[in-house]
Amino acid sequence: MIPIKNVVLLGANGTMGAGSGEVFAAGGCDVVFLARTVDKAHEGLVTAQNMAKSARIADRISVGTYEDDLEEAVSKADLIFEALAEDIELKKQFFTRVDKCRRADSIVATVSSGLSIAEMAHGRSETFRRNFLGIHLFNPPSVIVGTEVIPHTGTDPKLTKEIVALLESRFGRIAIVTDDKPAFAGNRVGFKVLNEVAQLAEKHGVAFMDYLIGPYTGRAMSPLSTVDLVGWDVHKAIVDNVHVNTKDEAHDMFALPAYMDELISRGHLGNKTPQHGGFYRRVKEGNQTINLVLDPKTGGYKDSRDAGAAKLPFVEKIRDLHRVGRYADAMKMFTTAEGAEADLARKVVFGYVSYGLNRVGDREVVRSPRDVDRIMGFGFNWAPPTVLVDVIGLKETIKALEQYSLPVPKVLQQAKPGERLFTEPHVNVGRFFAA
Amino acid sequence: MATPIYVLGGYQTDFARNWKKENKHIVAMMREAALGGLEATGLEPKEIDVGHVGNFAAELYAMQGHLGAFLVDIDPSFSGLPTARHEAACASGSIAILAASAEIEAGRYDLAMVVGVEQMKTVDPGRGADFLGTAAWYDREAKGIEFPFPKLFGRLGDEYDKRFGLKDEHLAHISTINYSNAKRNPLAQTRSWYMTEDHARSTDKFNSVIGGRIKISDCSQVTDGAASLFLASEKAAAAYAKKRGIKLESIPKLLGWGHKTAPIEFDAKVAESKGNPYVLPHTRQAILDAFKRAGIADCWGVDAIETHDCFTTSEYMAIDHFGLTKPGEAWKAVEDGTIEMGGKLPINPSGGLIGCGHPVGSTGTRQVLDAYKQVTGQCGEYQVDGAKKVATLNIGGSGTTSVAFVVG
Repeated sequence: MIPIKNVVLLGANGTMGAGSGEVFAAGGCDVVFLARTVDKAHEGLVTAQNMAKSARIADRISVGTYEDDLEEAVSKADLIFEALAEDIELKKQFFTRVDKCRRADSIVATVSSGLSIAEMAHGRSETFRRNFLGIHLFNPPSVIVGTEVIPHTGTDPKLTKEIVALLESRFGRIAIVTDDKPAFAGNRVGFKVLNEVAQLAEKHGVAFMDYLIGPYTGRAMSPLSTVDLVGWDVHKAIVDNVHVNTKDEAHDMFALPAYMDELISRGHLGNKTPQHGGFYRRVKEGNQTINLVLDPKTGGYKDSRDAGAAKLPFVEKIRDLHRVGRYADAMKMFTTAEGAEADLARKVVFGYVSYGLNRVGDREVVRSPRDVDRIMGFGFNWAPPTVLVDVIGLKETIKALEQYSLPVPKVLQQAKPGERLFTEPHVNVGRFFAA
Repeated sequence: MATPIYVLGGYQTDFARNWKKENKHIVAMMREAALGGLEATGLEPKEIDVGHVGNFAAELYAMQGHLGAFLVDIDPSFSGLPTARHEAACASGSIAILAASAEIEAGRYDLAMVVGVEQMKTVDPGRGADFLGTAAWYDREAKGIEFPFPKLFGRLGDEYDKRFGLKDEHLAHISTINYSNAKRNPLAQTRSWYMTEDHARSTDKFNSVIGGRIKISDCSQVTDGAASLFLASEKAAAAYAKKRGIKLESIPKLLGWGHKTAPIEFDAKVAESKGNPYVLPHTRQAILDAFKRAGIADCWGVDAIETHDCFTTSEYMAIDHFGLTKPGEAWKAVEDGTIEMGGKLPINPSGGLIGCGHPVGSTGTRQVLDAYKQVTGQCGEYQVDGAKKVATLNIGGSGTTSVAFVVG
């Protein structure tokens, strides 16, 4: 692989574009931020400065436009990094243009969070195809270090390996290799859970589901708040893509709930559309901010003081145990709590363990449980599946999986009792269990 | 030292964590450090004879005192364990180590658990800085002053400037080295932060002046963290070694210690050191005492130093006080690479307080734990090749309480 010194960034004004640019500039590359206008590219530069908390990162960044500067910048680039909108036709148009002016040894990467890498490479030159792969950074890249590297069948295998090593050593990433399958590993596993919770919200309510599958189950943020943060349009694109293009044991859980589809068509995209909101919405009444929560049954919003979740004793007890660092005791209570609510929570959480570890295998998305663990832990900030198994216990986990008719992943079938499955060094597993 | 104190190991929490965001009580941090240390050393809770906690201001930051008692909460076998909490501002962790080792030397106990801990991200930076002001003479030096400690350590720089001359570019380089080292430390708070020499030299909205000549890049961090350490008598260490089939000599020791306290007011310190080649002579003496007790002639008898860089000026001071250069010539060791990784005497391979982080009451135990990891070759990417002896310097207040150790 050629040394990476000069980077060109396509789509520099978007959050992922500016954030990716910051990562490359911080790693010592000279980066050209390209956008439709110089002003837009400059906006990206300012975003990068704010992410780095340094004005001086701009010393490594120059700005330009697609119209005036793309050909010259790409001809000098060692890495062309594409962070345009998640529109495969748009991406392909740009790649056609890039292919005409890039050096044959340059590397081309896309930050796409789940579109087909092979499809993007289709029709491109032989050297383009060999040097093309996905480098999926998570938002915001300056904070979230989990990264997926996705080769297509024509990618030089040596390049994949070297990119992973480089991302880890020079750019501070925790990187995994995934197959070129819809949504890759992190979003496949993560959005299965997010969409399942969105489906369940129709019957059980938004606030209730976010409370039931809240941070105490091993995540930094509750699921439906996460969907609001990500954006409903992005959520839809990801689950639709998986739903159409895969068939696995959780196929139905990727069906976008009809209420979400309807609200998206009316402009409800989550935090990015504050006037409409998503699962949650804030409105000002005089000097007061009122927090509203969606009622999926009607599509209307209710005051969260009236529509909030009633506290459940078992959840509160688990949170109290997490608060004082008794994670194993807390998760023991999680596995033994009685009642329909506890059953529902376990179905989702053990469903995550099962689905995540079932994506491991020769014909699956990743080769090793460590890959799923790393991307869920450091891309999503969720307790990695094997951390949950270690804390809960292997026997107890398998028993729960069987109880909820969830497939027992091979890695759990083959594990020895007492063996610790999560072996990532220097990680405090307690960080995954918020109270 | 007359009676050897063995270091069996310990555990550090990830200093990048924000425990308020995790909605955790300070006991969770102590628990992770203690249980992590027990696992790392392979010790059973029932083997521990005594527990010591180093902490500066949990009453202020976490509305919680009596931290020694929280050790008992960690494991049923700790019920009845004699415990105590020790406070000497930013040197609290080292004072807890001294107390534990004194008890072992006195023959009272054979195996001590020391936990240094501080939770600081519970309040906004201004309020936190006011709490830190209680490490100075609060009424005289901190009350009503915004960010009192950066100003006090800015004045340490000013005193160097007055006596010997001081260039801010040397302070910027010290900061850059610490950030750079922290990138190799998987438990360092700033391991993924952006920092360059250009940034450290610049003064703008991203690197504003906090007090006097001290800018953001000159400061250590507001950190949540804990580090445990397990200390043993020769009898306990011998049993520990036998059980594991290792040689007693392979277990590192606290080879020497030094402990001095200067007048608490910064002006009084400066007045006292007038005419002395060293700006903080008591700090110098604490280092010399540690060297003497360790049977080391000077700083060149150690392979690395973990020092107290609460600000770049304190590391600048430490360079000549450790004797790497003549007084006032610390800039030479900054310029010629002596203190960098791969240099003649690396300082703060961990990233120090600037790069690794500064959970106040935990810093002393974190430093000695890092010294232990260095001499046992467990530092991974921030390992100083072949380190046999490592010195630490932990300072409370504006150069007030100084504690130095040599581990090897």
